[in-house]
Amino acid sequence: MSLQQAQPISALLDPATVQSIADEVWPSLVGDGEAFVPVPVAPPAEVVSAWVTITGPWSGSVVLTCAPATAQALTENVLMTRPPTVVDDEDVADALGELANVLGGNIKSVLPGESKLGLPQIGSAPTRGRLDDVCALVGQWRGNFLTITVQGAAPAQHSSGTEVPQ
Amino acid sequence: MRALVIDDSRAMRRIVGTILKDFGYEVREAADGRLALDVLEEGFVPDLCCIDWNMPVMDGLQFVFAVRANPVYRQVTLMMVTTESETGQIVKALAAGAHEYLIKPFTADAMRDKLALLGLLPEGVTA
Repeated sequence: MSLQQAQPISALLDPATVQSIADEVWPSLVGDGEAFVPVPVAPPAEVVSAWVTITGPWSGSVVLTCAPATAQALTENVLMTRPPTVVDDEDVADALGELANVLGGNIKSVLPGESKLGLPQIGSAPTRGRLDDVCALVGQWRGNFLTITVQGAAPAQHSSGTEVPQ
Repeated sequence: MRALVIDDSRAMRRIVGTILKDFGYEVREAADGRLALDVLEEGFVPDLCCIDWNMPVMDGLQFVFAVRANPVYRQVTLMMVTTESETGQIVKALAAGAHEYLIKPFTADAMRDKLALLGLLPEGVTA
């Protein structure tokens, strides 16, 4: 194993970089004036996650986690739906997955070496690897709990997610 | 002018499609490269294809190779619209025959600037 492969994400990426990426993603995908605010709020009882994997010198996942109601509100914004249009589970998987995809693609671009991005998945977040191989940004959108976590792959990582349907 | 938006995300197809429609484009969509080739073979030959890179079935780079291998489509302008932002990936896409590269996330202004560079901004749209 090379020295680079042994480096945890905390040595390669800091929360400020993740925040700057989120600062570009939110207005573009979620809407003008929208922002991921890095001020933590209480986590909800139930959460849903969307993520993409990164495979390369550093391997792991970029995971977006929020309450199901927040995921639905994000989807309504991304899809620019207006009542009486209602978003369904496929819409939520698609929109949340695309947010994770764009976040993940931009995070991949600041990591050293050539890496490959996986397709978005949604479900329960993948198991984390080493305790120090995590860069987490805890915050909120419109007052609702939201986290962006860049986490190393667990050994023989088991994914409990489903690929976002096309 | 006509555009084909190729992305496995319906959300992203809607975002790109809405911007292009606002510029006056007639827009069709496809969820992967294979489906996009089907649209071309049906006779919808666009002025512009906006192409995501990472897609199931046939990815964006494979689509670029396929289009460039067919002289019938030589007038079609190919623009990658993707999160793949490393220089190596951009060079790979341009070498395969893509004309331009727009990195996600982007704004409507960024899209307009790229279309202006390509000479594909419809009349009446200010550069």
